[in-house]
Amino acid sequence: MPLTGRAALLAAIGSIPIGLWGPSWTGILAVDGSLALACACDFALAAPVRRLVLTRSGDTSARLGETADVTLTVTNPAGRPLRARLRDGWPPSSWQPGTEVEASRHRLTVPAGERRRITTRLRPTRRGDHQADRVTIRSYGPLGLFSRQGGHKVPWTVRVLPPFTSRKHLPSKLARLRELDGRTSVLTRGEGTEFDSLREYVPGDDTRSIDWRATARQSTVAVRTWRPERDRHILLVLDTGRTSAGRVGDAPRLDASMDSALLLAALASRAGDRVDLLAYDRRVRALVQGRSAGDVLPSLVNAMATLEPELVETDARGLTAMALRSAPRRSLIVLLTTLDTAPVEQGLLPVLSQLTQRHTVLLASVADPHVSQMATARGNADAVYEAAAAAQAQGERHRTAEQLRRHGVTVVDATPDDLAPALADAYLALKAAGRL
Amino acid sequence: MTTGAVIPATSTAPTTRQVWTRTRGIVLAVVLLLAGAVAIAVIRSDNRHGDLDPRSADRYGSRAVAELLADRGVSTRVVTTLAEARAAAGRDTTLLVAIPDLLTPHQQSQLRASTAGSGGRTILVAAGGSSVERLAPGVTADPATSLKSTLDPHCGLAEARRAGSADTGGIRYTTTHLDADSCYPSQRLATLIRVPTATGGGDTVVLGAPDILLNDRLDEQGNASLALQLLGSRPHLVWYLPSLSDSSATGTGEQKSLFDLLPSGWLWGTLQLFIATALAAFWRARRLGPLVPEKLPVAIRASETVEGRARLYRKANARDRAAAALRSTARTRLAPLVGVPVSQAHAPEALLPALSAQLHGDGQTLHSLLFGPPPGDDAALIALTDQLDALEREVRRP
Repeated sequence: MPLTGRAALLAAIGSIPIGLWGPSWTGILAVDGSLALACACDFALAAPVRRLVLTRSGDTSARLGETADVTLTVTNPAGRPLRARLRDGWPPSSWQPGTEVEASRHRLTVPAGERRRITTRLRPTRRGDHQADRVTIRSYGPLGLFSRQGGHKVPWTVRVLPPFTSRKHLPSKLARLRELDGRTSVLTRGEGTEFDSLREYVPGDDTRSIDWRATARQSTVAVRTWRPERDRHILLVLDTGRTSAGRVGDAPRLDASMDSALLLAALASRAGDRVDLLAYDRRVRALVQGRSAGDVLPSLVNAMATLEPELVETDARGLTAMALRSAPRRSLIVLLTTLDTAPVEQGLLPVLSQLTQRHTVLLASVADPHVSQMATARGNADAVYEAAAAAQAQGERHRTAEQLRRHGVTVVDATPDDLAPALADAYLALKAAGRL
Repeated sequence: MTTGAVIPATSTAPTTRQVWTRTRGIVLAVVLLLAGAVAIAVIRSDNRHGDLDPRSADRYGSRAVAELLADRGVSTRVVTTLAEARAAAGRDTTLLVAIPDLLTPHQQSQLRASTAGSGGRTILVAAGGSSVERLAPGVTADPATSLKSTLDPHCGLAEARRAGSADTGGIRYTTTHLDADSCYPSQRLATLIRVPTATGGGDTVVLGAPDILLNDRLDEQGNASLALQLLGSRPHLVWYLPSLSDSSATGTGEQKSLFDLLPSGWLWGTLQLFIATALAAFWRARRLGPLVPEKLPVAIRASETVEGRARLYRKANARDRAAAALRSTARTRLAPLVGVPVSQAHAPEALLPALSAQLHGDGQTLHSLLFGPPPGDDAALIALTDQLDALEREVRRP
């Protein structure tokens, strides 16, 4: 029964005439009967909700932390004006906690035969696809005593993409890349192994790079430039198993891994390398292959948007097989996984040689700053035991990393904030060393 | 999209047809249930309706006896409230209390008070144990009822002797009054007792069963004779049928409650306020649409296992393990600082000379600090941690 507060208030005020002039069933009937009659009229005169036509438009994607505006167009085909309250239902994580009620409710007046637009501003707090739930409309009568309420399902999906916060590191890493390329005015010697071109000597160039043979043929001094290899193949492998679900700070490890994978992909696509993505736990969660340099970042972001950690143990054997199939030629395989002892020793190490045989393997793992903090705890017995446990955990991670390094794997272990630049540096170092 | 494109209906409210499809089963069940109830009521309503009512011509009514009495000049009046019954009691009146057990103890006492000295006749039909004691003091009901229905008079009461055997078998009574007539005994206990009042010539008749008054049974045995004689001794018969609508049943006749004292305007105004509260509850109860469900992500802190291990160490007082972990970490950090490869950091013979060379310190102290036995208590463990920190600071300083 969609009554309004006004009806209840009128009923309460009605107790005064009943008390003063009509203390009997007749008085009650007179007051409540006329109120019921007014409500019935109001109900009859309220614009029908069922016949409204609702359509949506607006943003279909947004980065996490940004806003998305979704517009709802309400057309009122009835001959009566629509005075309504409207709730645009979205999952709770579409708004900052505490602002859901304010953000989802609208007041709306649509004259007869016209249409109006209302905009719901989403500020999602979680990655993934956010599906619009039902739109509930409460249409009030002209007296505001009674209302009709009904729902409409107007499907719309807003895909919330990973925030890619590490893109702030991109300019500095690109500058470093250009230095490697020999394209900057800093004129560091291109450290690649591929002969690029001859150019005129400018003061500041490394004299060791002067090509005397070419200089002899010309009137000016010529230097050789080198550039790193291009068109290399990089396969980013995201482990979405249980170890990626643990929260470091406020976000799961998987989010930090994604962030660094995106920075690496952005950097590598600028460097002319091809980037593929594989997300795997016990089956393939996402696979992006063969995208052009301009297209790779949007498709990666899109594929990562819906990835969630699964609470299953990662099947390292399947992951290796899938990675080998996805990377047919010699590639750089970037494993974004964990350095926890048990999963690495029992899962990854036995099958690692299959990967290292043909490919260069880079393993990146998210370290927990809280553990480092615990390791420095001092003062009382509790703190010292915490420090001991943290030292033990860190020692185990170091030993695991050492074991992996012995297999020829480059290991990057850093806290979520530092992982993306550290991984980019590791990539640049490999590129500079010509190990791709 | 062209302007003529059909926009699909988005409303989630069911159409009339859907509502009918969904509810027709329930509607059918309710209709069947109601029809069944009405049918059963109709079929079973032929009996037990208006029991002992002198206006009822049913099998269990008493119209016949009332008609017969009217023929003999006795007027019958039906009353349903205690006040009317009390007002009617008098010398030339027979008061018949049809179902005395329906009266409350308070009502019974009041009725007794007005009939005791009236000089009229009071007939109690099938009064149970507690009511007969109040309405006819000195008479008690036996818990066991009579087995036979038709009984013989066996007494000196003129009416009974004239009537002969009758269907009085029901509740059986005994009395302590010496001048009472005990008739129609069943196994030595009477089923009809007449107790004359001490003054005024009135009497009280206690009847064990209502059968002699019923239309159905009036023509059997001496029932009609007995009934007419008992009921027709005075020119007026007042037939008291106790009813639930009698306000005296509450027993608070004289005491006025708070509600009686309040002006009625307040009461009705409050009732209207209750209605308003109910409306407000309906207003607040209606939600603007259902809740939207969402799958929640798992929230496990990555450092949980490390914290758990710390608590385990603490609980088990595993000072040896804690000290070993702390020393091992310290050695791993110290070794590169003094030029020892990490792989040899845990060998005293490699690490200690390099360290003492850098610090010019005591080799024995260093050995016990870095490779010594586990500390004996928590204080020693804290001290060990501090010493390791101090050592590392010292090595880093130059």
